[in-house]
Amino acid sequence: MTINKESGMAASILSAALMLPGVQAHAEAPPTNGVISVGYLDYRDSQSGLDRINVHAPSVSIMAPVAGVWSVSGSLVKDDVSGASPRYHTAVSGASHMNDERKAGDVSLTRYLDRGSVTVGAAYSTEHDYVSRALSLQGSYESEDHNRTWTAGIGHSDDKIDPVNHIVTNERKRSTNFLLGVTQVLTANDVAQLTLGYDDGNGYFSDPYKSFDNRPRTRYETTLLARWNHHVAATDGTTRLTYRYYHDSFGVRGHTLGAEYVQPLSDGWTLTPEVRLYTQSAASFYYDPVYDSKLGAPFPPGYNGTGYMSADQRLSGFGAVTLGLKASKQIDKLWSVDAKVSAYQQRGSWRLFHQGSPGLDALRAQTVQIAINRQW
Amino acid sequence: MKFVLALAALAALAALSGCASIGNVQPWEKGTLARSEMTFKDGTLFNRYDDHIYTSREASSGGAGVGGGGCGCN
Amino acid sequence: MVDAVHRLLFDAMGSRCEIRVAAPDGGSAQQLIHRAVDEVRRIEHKYSRYRADSIVSRINAEAGRKAVPIDSETVGLFGYAAALHGASAGLFDITSGVLRKAWDFRAPRVPSAEVLEPLLALVGWHQVECGVFEVYLRRVGMEIDFGGFGKEYAADRAATLLAEAGVRHGYVNLGGDMRFIGPRMDGQPWAIGIQDPREPEGVLATINVSEGALATSGDYERFFELDGQRYCHILNPRDGMPVRYWRSVSVLAPVAVAAGSCSTITMLKQRDGLDFLNASDMAYLAVNGEGQMLYRDLI
Repeated sequence: MTINKESGMAASILSAALMLPGVQAHAEAPPTNGVISVGYLDYRDSQSGLDRINVHAPSVSIMAPVAGVWSVSGSLVKDDVSGASPRYHTAVSGASHMNDERKAGDVSLTRYLDRGSVTVGAAYSTEHDYVSRALSLQGSYESEDHNRTWTAGIGHSDDKIDPVNHIVTNERKRSTNFLLGVTQVLTANDVAQLTLGYDDGNGYFSDPYKSFDNRPRTRYETTLLARWNHHVAATDGTTRLTYRYYHDSFGVRGHTLGAEYVQPLSDGWTLTPEVRLYTQSAASFYYDPVYDSKLGAPFPPGYNGTGYMSADQRLSGFGAVTLGLKASKQIDKLWSVDAKVSAYQQRGSWRLFHQGSPGLDALRAQTVQIAINRQW
Repeated sequence: MKFVLALAALAALAALSGCASIGNVQPWEKGTLARSEMTFKDGTLFNRYDDHIYTSREASSGGAGVGGGGCGCN
Repeated sequence: MVDAVHRLLFDAMGSRCEIRVAAPDGGSAQQLIHRAVDEVRRIEHKYSRYRADSIVSRINAEAGRKAVPIDSETVGLFGYAAALHGASAGLFDITSGVLRKAWDFRAPRVPSAEVLEPLLALVGWHQVECGVFEVYLRRVGMEIDFGGFGKEYAADRAATLLAEAGVRHGYVNLGGDMRFIGPRMDGQPWAIGIQDPREPEGVLATINVSEGALATSGDYERFFELDGQRYCHILNPRDGMPVRYWRSVSVLAPVAVAAGSCSTITMLKQRDGLDFLNASDMAYLAVNGEGQMLYRDLI
């Protein structure tokens, strides 16, 4: 009998006991332990053989149960971003160099009720040319047998944009988003979740650092997220599948398919390989790197100074693949560490079902993330 | 296409609420479901990092939560 | 405005019981305590082996004959019994009560194999068919009883009732199985003495508890000694013989039902019980057969 199995027994006795009616005052269990995590991210991407953006981001997050029926959580992250990104398409020359620091924090408060919970949250981030503030309210409600949970949420964010090149000044972007979801226990080893989201945004969506970037002042986004976690008794591992469909008024449609497999090993180690496939269509106003015959790059063909347009690679049609591997070690009752490496590649030719946008160089990115966690 | 998908999603949600027989899992069978890898809790540091990276390199965003705030990521 | 601590001593479930609460005035405290005692008595009567009209007696009477309809509270208790059976690899078995007929702890006599065998045939959780609305014991003579966690369940129910009525300080103690509602009025923990398993008036250790539950299982509640060997009332369902190895096991857990089940399972696991305690998250204090005290986070 390994330590893992034995501790699972005592834990399963406790969870079975907590399910007996009337043995404790609140059913949707608030956390019994708090956790503090300190982490670090190293991200770098490259294109056409040249390094582009490099991000170093230390962060800290904390979750603490309070007075038995509340929990508070918060996080802080500081992104140190440096490098260059193309002004249009994947053009290497004349790329906009930058060195920026972004600080972001968020905090949320959850109140656990008899059969559900309510969470209010606030987020704030600031960089030298962009400030974002957001508020959210989310609630969950469980069925009597706790096998189904409904979730609903509403959030609002208010961003201020003041680019250093003064292409625009004091611009704003506001958006309100809604979500409605249901989580259903299917069997003792399966649980699934379906979430519908809608976001209504208006304001300044263009990228001031990209040449000739003019986007509509409204953006409506719809997402459908389906998730399924399945425990494999034979290996004691768990498969975690995700599919997300995204559609917005810019004309972008994206499909994301993610698969993770969590495999506990001996001595408190867990290995989690991950694959993510992504494909998106180009925005309706995205133009390929085919330039006006008279004006040349970066002018789009027939450029007359009006209309929506963007040469931002992120709005082109492409497919992307991520391969990742995470290793976690539970050191003792209180401490654990996680480390993850992943490789990402984005190519126009990898777009699924349709032709991707031509003429763009592949984008490659690598990330390394580590985190140290302590419970109390 | 968007309309068809929204309809499919609503139909799935409605079907789930009508179904009484699936998910009839008793409290004493829920030991496995309590494991952290079986939950959908996405608040970890790595989830935040990953979401942030994908949002700044792809056009799709969101889906899982509300009120996350934006950034001028380039 | 909290005034004084009110206390009631009473007998229930074959033990001395105590409820202690702090409430704004004497009147409401008395009322709340009586509601809690009523809840304990309700559970006692509903699940008592000694009352012919209890659901347990009716289920046992129809063993081998027909299924008996049960309500959702009873279904929940059967479900918990199933979970314990699984978690203890079959050692905790609520059908093992029939073995009681072989052991008379007033006369120091070890039953023979001929006496135990037919009773052992009636023991076995797999012989219980428990559904969502009814339960059926497959063999005539089979018996189930919730004595293994009934007192702890009642302690949890009584304490939750008080907590939901607004009580913030106090505890419910049913024969040594305790569920705490909150610390003393001044915020200090309650000082609880753990009984010495070999000294009826003696205390092994005093521990401080403000919340959660404390339960103790021991070989000293009902026993006899023969030729220097103690035979206690906790029987191994596989061979019908009393367990040895531990003199007493006390466990702290969030609810009494879990604390009591874990202390009993530790006794049933005998030597392997220590691994079980160490692998769990719980604080414990246990005394083995040599009188050695083992503990974690409890003193």
